[in-house]
Amino acid sequence: MLELTTLLTIKCKQQAIRAVRFNVDGTYCLTCGADKKIKLWNPHRNLLLKTYGGHANEILDAAGSCDSSQIVSCSADKSVILWDVTTGQPLRRYRSQASAVTCVKFNEESTMAISGSIDNTVALFDIASRRQEPVQVLKDAKDSITSIQVTNHEILTTSVDCHTRLYDIRAGKMITDYIGHMITFGTLTHDGQCYILSCADSTIKLFDKDSGELLNTFQGHESGDLLLENAINEKDSHIISGSKTGEIFYWDLISSSITQKLIHTKNKATVSISHHPTDNFLLTACEDEIKLWGNAKMEE
Amino acid sequence: MTDTDSDEDNCVKYGTPLEPYEEDEVPSKRKFQQQPDQYAVDAHGRRRFHGAFTGGFSAGYGNTVGTPEGWTPSSFKSSKSEKALFTNQRPEDFMDEEDRGEFGIAPRQMQTHSEFSGQKRQSQRHYHDGPIPGEPVLTELVRAVHETAAVRMLRAMGWREGQGTGDRVTSKEKKKAKEQHKVYGCYIPEEMRQETNASESSSDSEFDYDTLFAPADYEPYILNRKDDRFGLGYSGLSRHSVLGAMRGEYGASTSTSHLMMKEKGKKVSIRGQAFGVGAFEADDDDIYATENMSHYDFAIGGPKDDAKGKKTTKPQSGGVLEGFVKSTKPLPTVPSYPPPALPRDYTPAVAGTKRSRFEPTDKPQRDQGLGRHELTAAARGELLGEIPLKTNLQINTLTDKEDAIAKVLGRNVNFISQSENKEPDETLKNKQADEKSNVKNNEDFIPIYSRSTSKVVNPFSSVINNKNNEQVSVNSNLSKVIEPFASVNANEIGGQDFISIKDSGNPIVKVFKPFKSDPKKQARYEMYLKNKTTVVRDGDIDKLSEWERERELAEFEQAAKLYRPLSGIMGDRFTHASEPDDALNPLTAVARSSINYGLATKDQIEAAKKGMYGMLTRTETSWRPESLVCKRFNVPEPGLARKENIKEDKPKVSYSIFSYLETSVHDKDSFAKEQSKFSGSKSLRWDSKEQNPSYSKAQSTNKDITNKADEIKTDINKSKGVISEETVGFSKRITTAELFLKESEKSKESGVEVTETINNFDKMALYKSIFLSDSEDDEKIDDNKDVKTKNDVKDDNFIDAPKNVERNTSPPRGIFANIDFDELNSWRRKVDDKVSNKEIIGTNKEQEVKKQPTNESKEKFGPDMDIEDGVYGPKIPENLQKRLESGSDKNDLSSSKEIHEIQSSSEDSWVDMNEVKEKKVKKKKSKKHKSKHKKSKHKKKYK
Repeated sequence: MLELTTLLTIKCKQQAIRAVRFNVDGTYCLTCGADKKIKLWNPHRNLLLKTYGGHANEILDAAGSCDSSQIVSCSADKSVILWDVTTGQPLRRYRSQASAVTCVKFNEESTMAISGSIDNTVALFDIASRRQEPVQVLKDAKDSITSIQVTNHEILTTSVDCHTRLYDIRAGKMITDYIGHMITFGTLTHDGQCYILSCADSTIKLFDKDSGELLNTFQGHESGDLLLENAINEKDSHIISGSKTGEIFYWDLISSSITQKLIHTKNKATVSISHHPTDNFLLTACEDEIKLWGNAKMEE
Repeated sequence: MTDTDSDEDNCVKYGTPLEPYEEDEVPSKRKFQQQPDQYAVDAHGRRRFHGAFTGGFSAGYGNTVGTPEGWTPSSFKSSKSEKALFTNQRPEDFMDEEDRGEFGIAPRQMQTHSEFSGQKRQSQRHYHDGPIPGEPVLTELVRAVHETAAVRMLRAMGWREGQGTGDRVTSKEKKKAKEQHKVYGCYIPEEMRQETNASESSSDSEFDYDTLFAPADYEPYILNRKDDRFGLGYSGLSRHSVLGAMRGEYGASTSTSHLMMKEKGKKVSIRGQAFGVGAFEADDDDIYATENMSHYDFAIGGPKDDAKGKKTTKPQSGGVLEGFVKSTKPLPTVPSYPPPALPRDYTPAVAGTKRSRFEPTDKPQRDQGLGRHELTAAARGELLGEIPLKTNLQINTLTDKEDAIAKVLGRNVNFISQSENKEPDETLKNKQADEKSNVKNNEDFIPIYSRSTSKVVNPFSSVINNKNNEQVSVNSNLSKVIEPFASVNANEIGGQDFISIKDSGNPIVKVFKPFKSDPKKQARYEMYLKNKTTVVRDGDIDKLSEWERERELAEFEQAAKLYRPLSGIMGDRFTHASEPDDALNPLTAVARSSINYGLATKDQIEAAKKGMYGMLTRTETSWRPESLVCKRFNVPEPGLARKENIKEDKPKVSYSIFSYLETSVHDKDSFAKEQSKFSGSKSLRWDSKEQNPSYSKAQSTNKDITNKADEIKTDINKSKGVISEETVGFSKRITTAELFLKESEKSKESGVEVTETINNFDKMALYKSIFLSDSEDDEKIDDNKDVKTKNDVKDDNFIDAPKNVERNTSPPRGIFANIDFDELNSWRRKVDDKVSNKEIIGTNKEQEVKKQPTNESKEKFGPDMDIEDGVYGPKIPENLQKRLESGSDKNDLSSSKEIHEIQSSSEDSWVDMNEVKEKKVKKKKSKKHKSKHKKSKHKKKYK
């Protein structure tokens, strides 16, 4: 694997970036700022495309729809807003959760928005209709929800109560796994067979989805008391995570050895990272700047 | 009368008279009523002002140029014919008619032309008396060339400017006329006049010949306004320009300033038009020459006075203006006032900083209400005139003993240690309060929470006890209220040594007595409550008829439902804090959650600590997504089975090929459905009909059991709860089985070997086999063995399964749907783990190891077979049948017992404790080997 280099550094001027997210095809990215605004960028060309303002507090997460025509964002103001990308106007505003909403995702067809909140609930909103109330509220978690992942028929939630919950809509069951540490972030591998869970004990754990067995543990980074995010590269070969120390770690999925360390800003925590869905690009956010990492192109 | 009339006639009236005031009349509120039409109207009767309270400017097209559009510029038309008619536009063209009126901006009226108007002196000019009195010369000089008609006429008649009008006169006459005019006072005597004339004539000798002169011009006599109060003809010191040469255009001498320095810096003299000279004129000592004695010298000598006087006049000249003396008196001091004293509770704050609304106020917030809450109970009692009861003493005497206990137990009574702590207290109290409580218990209602919700009350009572201990003066009233609670508690709790959270199964004897009127019935009711299942057989009941008994039973049931204690409903909603509540320290909150981990069981925590993730840490529960969620996710609703039930109530079996084609076999459910349709097997229906309700019943009754069960049984219940919890939900193995089923179906078509797909389902093995195969050889072998053994087991299951297509391959439904036998085994494993930790080694290990595989297979098939046995349906393969038979003989009781347990739980809440204990022991024994086996595996994994 080639060493990644910084291709671009964008100063977002958003005070602090809470989350950076690639869109569905990786051509654009969203940055969620502490200044209550979302910015849409083309990170490959260092272009600011649009700014979305309307939240009343820090924006904690955002996601783009499958056709990149809508954005859903959640904020510490307890609301979830659905935006129209081109006009920049909020289409819907959901205020059903009792506390700050920490994470939000679209389902595969972008007909539902699924949001997790500090009030321990996961709410499923129907975007297609004008219904303001959530279609369903999952109240199984006993502590705040830290992340949500959605596949075509599953919803994976991670919570501070040390459990992951996989809601299988097709089978109609909830599979709860006790992990033993607070889980700050969870992702699914691209093949949908494993969970990658960032735990508060400075480890990342790889679990098998079907059996719930621990497959591997990745160590070396420092989580502190941050809600570190993790990512997996496009080939499912490396696991990526930020650290309190400002480094970005690359682990080999199988050998669990550190293959690479990128440094965003020394001793400034890089919490939010986002990997390109199909290509070898990585976005990392630290304070108010984001960096795009990738293979330096030989264009001579 | 006539007089008055004549008077009125003679009177002249001005103005409009007031309305005659009548005393009886009530003055109307609005006396003055404005005329309705007081609008300014123009000549045509149109309203002049519009808008802005009708005082606004002419608005609206009505008054403007006259069109709704307002003024429109005339468009230019080029035409040959009208070329000549081209006229210049005038401003009037754009004006309203009004504007040309008398008050408009361009009034058109008849008036003298300015040429003739002669409005030179329209206004009386006011000349001020400057150095040159009269009409200012300059104005005369710079007069406009414009002349009035009269002047021109005069000119034409031979008039020149500067000449008077009239006949020409000789110079003598002219002089005479001049003199005549210039006389003030009396005429000069004739002879004197002649004299002057002679002298004059001599001078004018050259004009002696007869020439005529125009008479002198008329000089207008200017009347000055008198604006002072001096006497006539006297002008005092002019008010302006007293100091300095304000308009000293002509130098100091001609300056109008009356105050001036004679010599530089020496003396100030004032000169003016007043009588005489200035007061400070040094030259004349005596101006008015008044005689008085001081003018005379009384002593011989020089002019001493002068020296003296001079001295006095200028004693010092320390930079002070001459003639001025420094005052000896100090100036009156300006009184200074001290600033106002600040209020005592004033705290300085920067002006302009707005305080937050949420900032805590300095003052302690007073309780809502009228300050009643500030009073203590004792004070209130005093106010009401209550006499404090002497029970106080009784308690106080007891407190000595309690103190001792308190010392032993420690003052800090928290929620955890409460159940243990309070019992001695309670028993002590029991003695003294028993009598009282017995009396009071006669009341129908004993506070509900006193009984089985002892948990809720306990802290309360304990707090009170604490108070007693600490010699806090307990108000008698308070203690009186509490005593029934405490005593009841004492009665109930005294004998118990364990109170669980879900102690709702306690006998609820004293909660409510619905049959108080019939003490015998009440007794029976209590008996019924104690053990609901066993029919009470005593002397009384024999007297009742069968019908009566049944009716009574139903009645009891109703009553028990109605008067269930609060804990029954709410009991499972509250749990104990695992640690003492420390609200002040936010960090403990995290610690607390990390202990309980969102309802993780101890086993789970232990397993997670060891890193044994998987079965132990995983729980599966059924969860029902909303139909809309399924719709949006494009996923069929998982609860289709239920709908099936309803549908199949009215069986419609069509054997048309089209119906078969229509419903494509997508999933296993529909496949099974089709199967059942065509095979005519009723097993599925039986399953869903019979088993499902019983299962739900089991679920619902589970709670009931916990409610009803006795305290002693709670222990058992707990263990049961663990089982039932684990049994609820779909098993992991079954899902893999399902997947396998699909897989096998596919493989059947494609011809892929089944065993390979089996391998797919052991994920860990897969993971290892792919990624770690080369690294750890020995482990691989072990793993392979594992896989092999598992495969063996599975082969029994699954290779057989597809062979028999007729067989009901649908996943277990109803009660069995949620029973995961592997999970049960895993639970047993867990138990075994513990046991092995304690190093209890079973004796018959080896034997059981041999038995194991068969056992496992039995367990897998056991329940299914059992069902199939009792029911008609597809035939079971013979080899399985045999095994089943042989297995059922040897089969350890554990699995069947467990099933039995669950089934029984629906109908029978009572389980003998001994029985359960036996079970446990058996389980332990039977599973020991397995745990060993597993453990070794794990050890290898996490080397």
